[in-house]
Amino acid sequence: MVYLDASATNPLLPEVRDAMLEVMDLSVKGELGNPSSLHSTGSRGRDLLAAARESVAELIGASSEEILFTSGGSESNNTVLHTFTGCPLFVSAIEHPSVLEPAKLYGSPCWEIPVDRQGIINLSALETQLRRTLKHSPQERLLVSVMTANNETGSLQPLAALSALLQTLRADFPKAQLFFHTDATQAIGKIPVNVQKLGVDYLTFSSHKLGGPVGIGALYVRQGSPFKPLILGGAQEGKRRAGTSNAVLATGFATAAKIAKTTPAKYQKIAELRDYLASEIKKRIKTATLVCGDRKQLVLPNILNVSFPGAEGESTQLYLDLAGIEVSTGSACASGDIRPSHVLMAMFGDAEVAHNSVRFSLNLKTKKQDIDYLLKTLPPIIERLQKLSTINLKESV
Amino acid sequence: MKQSTAKSCQKSPLEQSWAYTDIVKDHFLNPRNFLMGDETKFPADGEGLVGNPYCGDQMLVKIQVSTRKNPETGKREEYIKDIGWKTYGCASAIASTSALSELAKGRSLSAAGDISAEEICAFLGGLPKHKFHCSVLGHEALKNAIADYQNHKNLKNQP
Repeated sequence: MVYLDASATNPLLPEVRDAMLEVMDLSVKGELGNPSSLHSTGSRGRDLLAAARESVAELIGASSEEILFTSGGSESNNTVLHTFTGCPLFVSAIEHPSVLEPAKLYGSPCWEIPVDRQGIINLSALETQLRRTLKHSPQERLLVSVMTANNETGSLQPLAALSALLQTLRADFPKAQLFFHTDATQAIGKIPVNVQKLGVDYLTFSSHKLGGPVGIGALYVRQGSPFKPLILGGAQEGKRRAGTSNAVLATGFATAAKIAKTTPAKYQKIAELRDYLASEIKKRIKTATLVCGDRKQLVLPNILNVSFPGAEGESTQLYLDLAGIEVSTGSACASGDIRPSHVLMAMFGDAEVAHNSVRFSLNLKTKKQDIDYLLKTLPPIIERLQKLSTINLKESV
Repeated sequence: MKQSTAKSCQKSPLEQSWAYTDIVKDHFLNPRNFLMGDETKFPADGEGLVGNPYCGDQMLVKIQVSTRKNPETGKREEYIKDIGWKTYGCASAIASTSALSELAKGRSLSAAGDISAEEICAFLGGLPKHKFHCSVLGHEALKNAIADYQNHKNLKNQP
């Protein structure tokens, strides 16, 4: 089996399993209490949680009291946007739905930042809109939420420039309260991510993308930033997120986080494989369009999104699956929705590009022979679907 | 194998909603009566197109029409002698057009025009709910093809 869907989830790391089993064994022996309990076994849970929080904080250059454990990236994103209920929200058009949907619900109003055909946000459009808003109400509290890297295309966003823009605006509008959130779920572990360097106030990430367990994620909240809990009814996580703390998942997440500190350097090799895949696809399938073009330096090292005119993505995905290759698609048909990928629609405004898109996402286990097998398998599938299709390729993109 | 109610189209809305039946998979992988590549090799008496690439599904259906004596009524009738098709779309779109072609082949024109989405879905042993609504369109293309055939015939018969 060739797994090229690493952006969906990554296999659990054996070190993570071992660490979690140790904690589970404590629980089996009755030596792991509720971390909120004062007694000795509760205290053991508390210690495990504190150690885990320390490791997770260290991965992004935060201090441990700035880290909140959540159920995952979606909850972290929802929590930040919920905090800014009734405020103007500026979110990129290509955010994960767990940013976009709450932003539309809580924002007053919610502005979508457009992106170009490489999937990069239009900073000057954002600046114009921010200045217009602040000129009108200079004491406004507002939030800008732009992901570090996109999950479908891997496009890296200009966070340094965005941070600089917000600094300028803070100087120009001293009474305004401008906050900055980034969803780094896809980027962490692939490229170095440091909250001090990025200048963000909130940062979302998740455990399972790093080879940790599913069901736990983190939210970084810079000290002093506004916060409103989403889940009420308990004093856990410094009264910021109710619900019994999970020492098993936190320990697994922390183990994955320690390993993730060393992985960005290793992804250089994966970027070479990805670039090889991109250039070979262009050679072997003339009609293929590389969704992010050739601007490799502006894309995560492990993602390649390609659109094959006339070959609908779900059909390609199913054919590949039968050949033992697992990928994903931006086609509406595969999403249970009637709309195709909002990310590719924001980039191209063309539903066909989205319907025909296939995302290949690699991880550290991907080998050259996997890519060669894909390169051998893919062209006849695309050719067959194109021949079966009503689309006249000469008229396609 | 053939189920007659539309109920078989309703799979569980949660985890199972992705599952395709073996019949769907078979028609997706081994589509029947399709026009592979060169469609000029299939001279048609009528053709119909439905859907559009923007929505992610498009079907082209071509029919050859002939006449025969209906064994039950003894009357002469027009029937679909052969059918060919092309589909741009997902597995369900491809499989459902293939199923339609099997259902239509050999039917009288009037009976072929009555083929419904439910009948196609039942033939395939059911489809995920969201697929049923967006990708079963082949019968509409067939209706267009029959209308196209009849238009041509009427034009020819005009003095």
